[in-house]
Amino acid sequence: MSEFLIANMAPIIFASMIIFLLVGFPVAFALAANGVVFGLLGIELGLLGPQLFQALPDRIFGVMANETLLAVPFFTFMGLILERSGMAEDLLDTIGQLFGPIRGGLAYAVIFVGALLAATTGVVAASVISMGLISLPIMLHYGYDKRLAAGVIAASGTLAQIIPPSLVLIVMADQLGKSVGDMYAGAFIPGMVLTSLYVGYVILVSIFKPKWVPALPLEARSLRGAALALRVLTTLVPPLTLIFLVLGTIFLGIATPTEGGAMGATGALIMALVRRRMSLSLLKQAMEKTAKLTTFVLFILIGARVFSLTFYGVDGHLWVEHLLTTLPGGQIGFLIVVNLLVFVLAFFLDYFELAFIIVPLLGPVAEKMGIDLIWFGVLLGVNMQTSFLHPPFGFALFFLRSVAPASVKSSDIYWGAIPFVCVQVIMVALIIIFPQMVTVGLDKPSTVDVNSIQIELPETNYDEPAEEPGSPPEPVSNGNRG
Amino acid sequence: MNALLKLSRRIDALTERVGQAALWLVLVVVLISAANAMMRYTINYSSNAFLEIQWYLFGMIFLSCGGYTFMRNEHVRIDLISGRLSKRGQTWIDIFGILFFLMPMAIAIMVLSWPVFIHAIESSEMSNSAGGLIVWPARLMIPAGFLLLIVQAISELIKRVGFLRGLCPDPTEKLNALSDEEELALAIKAQKGEAQ
Repeated sequence: MSEFLIANMAPIIFASMIIFLLVGFPVAFALAANGVVFGLLGIELGLLGPQLFQALPDRIFGVMANETLLAVPFFTFMGLILERSGMAEDLLDTIGQLFGPIRGGLAYAVIFVGALLAATTGVVAASVISMGLISLPIMLHYGYDKRLAAGVIAASGTLAQIIPPSLVLIVMADQLGKSVGDMYAGAFIPGMVLTSLYVGYVILVSIFKPKWVPALPLEARSLRGAALALRVLTTLVPPLTLIFLVLGTIFLGIATPTEGGAMGATGALIMALVRRRMSLSLLKQAMEKTAKLTTFVLFILIGARVFSLTFYGVDGHLWVEHLLTTLPGGQIGFLIVVNLLVFVLAFFLDYFELAFIIVPLLGPVAEKMGIDLIWFGVLLGVNMQTSFLHPPFGFALFFLRSVAPASVKSSDIYWGAIPFVCVQVIMVALIIIFPQMVTVGLDKPSTVDVNSIQIELPETNYDEPAEEPGSPPEPVSNGNRG
Repeated sequence: MNALLKLSRRIDALTERVGQAALWLVLVVVLISAANAMMRYTINYSSNAFLEIQWYLFGMIFLSCGGYTFMRNEHVRIDLISGRLSKRGQTWIDIFGILFFLMPMAIAIMVLSWPVFIHAIESSEMSNSAGGLIVWPARLMIPAGFLLLIVQAISELIKRVGFLRGLCPDPTEKLNALSDEEELALAIKAQKGEAQ
């Protein structure tokens, strides 16, 4: 019995992790418990040294001292403040009026606003709910096909997952040991391409099924001419300012992504104050949600670190590597299997779990196969974004259901999402076929990074021995930059 | 059992207070980080203490809210299977999970991280970067945070046993009255109403 256990420890731990997770107890604790139980068993069997758990406090300390993940509460807080500041509503109203009289115009407006919101907030729930409450009734009123309307809203909401500054990309960069700035730069063009593919789908619909996307009569506009033009310009100011505050400062190298998040959050606060949408209860609500989200995300990461302590201790990563490198078809075989795996797992797990459990196992294998990790991260990011659209568990569909009028059936939402899931699959294929989409954005910043790393390396020496590759200690390098 | 339920209410009140206080750190850390970026760019001033205080606060937020988030039942679960069980079945899962998943790992981490903290105090461990902060407060957060989590888990355990015996209401019920999304939807509807 114990021989069998020793020989197959890694697969057994992996299988039992899945069972532990499925029990339905919070993921963070189940993961950590799995690590502790098998760690003890491994020590008992002589597979692991008795000092195994001594590394635990340092692992958690490493999670705390992780400057990259500090961006998670910043962007969450920014999104929560923005969702109440009225920006989404103004944009949808104005852009809807602008595009409405074209065939398919309201759908284009939803996609355009979805992309703009994605580049500022990065919160799927907020985008989908605003669009579901504001655009969906108008679309239905003017005779848009229910399924198309629902699908386009849900899909545009998920753009927040892939267009920078998204939380997915932050976590992905952290787990792959790459800089968030590079991950953002790499995801930028694919995000734009994906947005265009959505637009392309609506164009096809307006050609082949014009009745699904009628043009609005001009009378539907409450503003016209110069007044409309002025209104469009003024509504675009707040999101563009925020995009500059966040992405502009990051891409120009003025701020780190973490600081970009803090500046964006401060900007959002000021905007909400100016618009008189700020109140103490709103502030407290936003802080509370941010604290809770940060807590559960970081606890999943702690759980994953405890799990990996044992799993790596019994050479589980080598087992995974062996499984994946012996796949037929080399790189392409690996990519296909990995993408299918993530696609299927995304039905059950959300992206934090995927990113903390699966990605650290895949990253080193991908690197050994000569795959660029930024590209790999963006690829997986698009793939995981799809999980928000999977019927019937996709979060975006769930959020839309909660605000859609009763005349839109759940099946309408599911069917509406399916063409967009197909678009997503096409996008994954495109990224594989044209990796330049990701790498083009990277050339310049990466040379800068190489230089600065060389200068700063001697000083970044924390006395933390067992840091995982995911979290390079960054504070010092930032301090020296000015 | 009544004494235990009373204890549980005390613990909940403590966790609530800790959580409510820790919320403000979110705002504090946002402002510090933004100010830091702005100062570095405008007057070219920056210090490592400034950078380190950010992650001290970050650690403080999630470690001190571990129990709070658990009380609010917001640690992510995969409810694929448990979602189909009865309320009692789910409660049994939680009791099992608290006893065999949460407690062993939380106690292990708390016990193991305590000597690290003591060592940091005794050796007055300083951060390695120039002008950095003293390290022990950060080292203390780990055992303290996990202690809060353990204490809250005891309270959750009591409430769940109480629920199974019919002595108190379902501990997860009242929290789910209005989800975050429903709240947002209400707010947008209210704004729309104002605009018209």
